[in-house]
Amino acid sequence: MNIDIIINAIIYGILIGSVYSLVAIGLSLIWGVMDIVNFAQGDYMMLGAFITYWLLVLLNIDPLVSIIISFGIIFLLGVFTQRIIINRILDAPMFSQIITTFSILMIIRYGAEAGFGPFTRWVTTSYSGMNFSIGSVSLPLTQVITFIISILILIILHVFLTRTYYGIALRAVSQNREGAILIGINVKRMYELAFGIGVGISAIGGSLISTFIPIYPEMGGYYVLLAFIAVVLGGFGNVYGSYISGIILGIIQTLSAVFILPTLKDVVAFIVFIILILIKPSGLFGR
Amino acid sequence: MNLFIEKIKNQVYKHLILILGTILLFIITILSWYADLPFLANVIFLCILYSIMGMAWNLLTGYGGQFSLGHSIFFGVGAYTTGVLLARYGITPWLGIFVGAFLAGLNGLALGVPFFRLKSHWFTLATIAASTIYMLTFTVWDYVGGSVGLNLPIVPKELAFYYMYYQGPYFYALLALVILIIEIIILNMIVKSKIGIYLTAIRDEEEAAKHIGINPFKYKMIAMFISALFTGISGGLYAVRFGILEPFAVYDIITVSVYISITGILGGIYNFYGPIVGAFIFMPITEYVRTNIVVRYPMYYGLHVMVVGIILIFISLVMPEGVLGWLEKKGILRKETIIAAPEGD
Repeated sequence: MNIDIIINAIIYGILIGSVYSLVAIGLSLIWGVMDIVNFAQGDYMMLGAFITYWLLVLLNIDPLVSIIISFGIIFLLGVFTQRIIINRILDAPMFSQIITTFSILMIIRYGAEAGFGPFTRWVTTSYSGMNFSIGSVSLPLTQVITFIISILILIILHVFLTRTYYGIALRAVSQNREGAILIGINVKRMYELAFGIGVGISAIGGSLISTFIPIYPEMGGYYVLLAFIAVVLGGFGNVYGSYISGIILGIIQTLSAVFILPTLKDVVAFIVFIILILIKPSGLFGR
Repeated sequence: MNLFIEKIKNQVYKHLILILGTILLFIITILSWYADLPFLANVIFLCILYSIMGMAWNLLTGYGGQFSLGHSIFFGVGAYTTGVLLARYGITPWLGIFVGAFLAGLNGLALGVPFFRLKSHWFTLATIAASTIYMLTFTVWDYVGGSVGLNLPIVPKELAFYYMYYQGPYFYALLALVILIIEIIILNMIVKSKIGIYLTAIRDEEEAAKHIGINPFKYKMIAMFISALFTGISGGLYAVRFGILEPFAVYDIITVSVYISITGILGGIYNFYGPIVGAFIFMPITEYVRTNIVVRYPMYYGLHVMVVGIILIFISLVMPEGVLGWLEKKGILRKETIIAAPEGD
């Protein structure tokens, strides 16, 4: 076994993991603020990827510009979803909440499949295939850009959550719903904000991943499961933990592809997940 | 005395509806066989198939309070066991289906040992993860056909009955109906026995149940075994009916696990017959959309599942207790005494 292969695997794991992190951050935010397990998270991500694709094909807008547009559109869609659906099931039994987010998933995923067709599509730009190398490691440009943007988003989210009124109010709502109502925070508005931002960040993840991985309407099902692993690994509702665990997950995947079998890399990830929730459901970075 | 008579009446009505429904389904299937209406019989077959699984699932979820979205595991194990025994060893499905069901039950027990330590949505997430592991493993396992899938052999006409090989869905619909009736009788006995009462107690208040000497783990395991057993039988029926087993179809979270839970949630998970009502509501709609729009215009593939999503959103916003639960709330049906829905939650 060559040491270069292992270093390569770890670096690729970090790069691909940063996308899992973006989906996981969004999921974690929603989960932490309103205790809703959003199974449709991956499908908002898929919509982000398709917005990027259509903007490139129809209007020739660069993917790096369209991430802002896809965040905006999916943010509004998220607010809309929260207002007409999720706000009504906040106090419903657990099975009812899970099945409602599953029905959102079915509408978005299969609606997209019926609308766009079940084809696989590629987002190709002038810089798609570019590589640059540091030492023996060759890095694809689009993945490095993705990694940098994901860190930027984490920083922006951190500033938002700690420095702005809405961010602080959001954290207040997630810590104590009744207390937040008492000091005059509009809780339902905050939930709409949280859901919008949560799915919006995942949509950015989708837009970014479309620059180096082919996209198709059912792609969300795969990423949402990985995002679940990352959220649980990172500690329930802990945004920063989710980010780091997304990257750890990417490394676990690429390393098990090297050491075990490429086709079994996801099996390893899911076994880690089951063992983790059995042993320490509060996650690696949980309290 | 009056109350007693009313209770008896209620029981008789329920059984009468059940018996009439069975006879009606039987006659429709036979008629569709003679009139050659495969669509009708296929819908009946799928409704019954999902009713079998929904009833089994409901024992674990409605009675036991463990929300499983991993029943595709037992469905898949049942289907693959029947398929492999037939395709590789030529063993008749009459035996294979029950071997498959038993193996599915064993898988249920094996998964129950670690998973029943988990509470509420953690259990659900673990079952989803487990079903994904099964799916991914079966795609790389060459013995069962890998990702290409397993094709069941074509059988000469003389041996059709022995190998359960018939054209069209008619025979399978009748067989499924018989299995559903057997299942209803068995589950009815279980639910009325102390197992059902203990399960409900565990669902409503696990700590209190423990304090009066009920072992929650033991009764959850019993529920899991029976639930997996019947889901496995369904899987075997699916295998002989469609003759091709692909891991992505058999272990699909949406069209197997979530569909099973939809039957219960649509009909009412706190009602014994809820899953049957649910299956007979949503299956005909989605199959109608599939055969009339999706098959004719393949570019709209996915529409039939989207329709189910819309029905589901409607149900969870308007009548979260399901159709039967809603009818009970409106006073049209009498509330079932033993398994009242937990207050609040």
